[in-house]
Amino acid sequence: MMCENCGKNPATTHLKTVLNGVVEEKHLCSYCAANNGYGNVGGLSLTNMLASMFGESVSRGKPISKRCKCCGASFSDIAQSGRVGCSECYTTFRNELLPSLNRLHGKAIHIGNTPVEEKNEDSLEERIKKLKKQLADAIKAEEFEKAAELRDEIRGLEGEENNA
Amino acid sequence: MRNWYENVDALNPLVVSSRIRLARNIKGVPFPKRMNTAQKEETLKSIKDLLDGISIDSVGTLKYIDMEAVPEEELFAMVERHIISPDFAKKAGPKGIVISENEAVSIMLLEEDHIRLQVIQGGLKLNEAYEIAKKIELILSKGLTIAFDSQLGYLTECPTNLGTGLRASLMLHLPILEGSGSLSTIADSVSKIGLTVRGMYGEGSRSHASLYQLSNQVTLGISEQAAIDNLTAIANQIVQKELSARENLDKKALEDSVYRALGTLRYARLLTSEEMMKLISSVKLGVEMGILEDIESALPMSLLIETQAFSLQKTNGRMTPSDRDILRASIIRERL
Repeated sequence: MMCENCGKNPATTHLKTVLNGVVEEKHLCSYCAANNGYGNVGGLSLTNMLASMFGESVSRGKPISKRCKCCGASFSDIAQSGRVGCSECYTTFRNELLPSLNRLHGKAIHIGNTPVEEKNEDSLEERIKKLKKQLADAIKAEEFEKAAELRDEIRGLEGEENNA
Repeated sequence: MRNWYENVDALNPLVVSSRIRLARNIKGVPFPKRMNTAQKEETLKSIKDLLDGISIDSVGTLKYIDMEAVPEEELFAMVERHIISPDFAKKAGPKGIVISENEAVSIMLLEEDHIRLQVIQGGLKLNEAYEIAKKIELILSKGLTIAFDSQLGYLTECPTNLGTGLRASLMLHLPILEGSGSLSTIADSVSKIGLTVRGMYGEGSRSHASLYQLSNQVTLGISEQAAIDNLTAIANQIVQKELSARENLDKKALEDSVYRALGTLRYARLLTSEEMMKLISSVKLGVEMGILEDIESALPMSLLIETQAFSLQKTNGRMTPSDRDILRASIIRERL
């Protein structure tokens, strides 16, 4: 079946609407469907996908009354919209956000440029040094799961350093 | 000073433009969606004070424009010239841009993030564009506290931009790969290495002029330079594929379709924007392949941008679609 709007491409979006008992059918190609506002039928916009990733952390956790001091957002605001309220939210809701961020980006850590005033403080070398200290602390405290994560992180950064 | 689409890379005419975009936010200020009007006005003013009137090598003086006061036609004409995003044009409330004389630099203020710094250059010039972006970023980060986290990088409203906040894009003219249907295979393979191919105007847009944007998707765990180098390397491969596909074309048939397109553009009395784009693409192909030697190499892109709906209305006021088609055809007849 060809798209009933343009007649040029095969129809891939098939819609059926029932309004006051009147059934209406539409058969559109993906391009015409998107142009006529049906492009998001499956609800798979980026926002929705992000929202459902964050949403999982909400339903697993306790009801959250914590709000960000800077912008007033609660974690459920972020989870529903898939959008973060302000830069401080990344600190306020770090534990809630990290699992989803890890799923989104893998275990990656920022290795690009830094704002001018941060430059000296956060060189690759410095970061490895800090992580190694955290690793030693974790081992001492017998937090082996955390230690394994830190070890992977350090390996990743050392790999970067060798490549550079 | 010339606009990006008036500069053609003679060695690499298939790469129409190079674009760098950096997403940045101010620490301790809610992202635009959660800002009140007073916060928006204050933020606009602080960035205006930093950048308005500053002169940058090779792009000229930066100028602040209050975008809330700009009429709709002009906003969408800016979208057609790739200076602002469609979402930004539609957005209500206080917003601003800082723009350079030649429009190579355009900084959207209070779009999704506080600052969306864009540098666009004609041809394959990602490194040059990034150098310009860095100069402006330096001014911004000296005057403002930019939101940054040592693990997550630059903090952005949308978590997909975390890290470098960098989106680098190359616009490529790929009529033969498009025609042979190999673009979807290419799109599939580049997505596996963290790149994406989209139409000329981004997500969901189809290109009538065989113009496609190749851009990076991954921003966390990769340095800016690595992202730019990857993108450039893949773009070069795609360009080589397009060029070798061109080698295998039937020369007479190609020449015929190029001249037919030119003929229609030179004599048509009515041109819809869709038809114009298709024909311009053929003429551009003819220019790139040395078939049409007496057409100035930048002319096809200039016509393609300047005869789109809103760009026509910007200088001629609101028009009906058929009046636009008449005007479009007459401008093209005159200049081609």
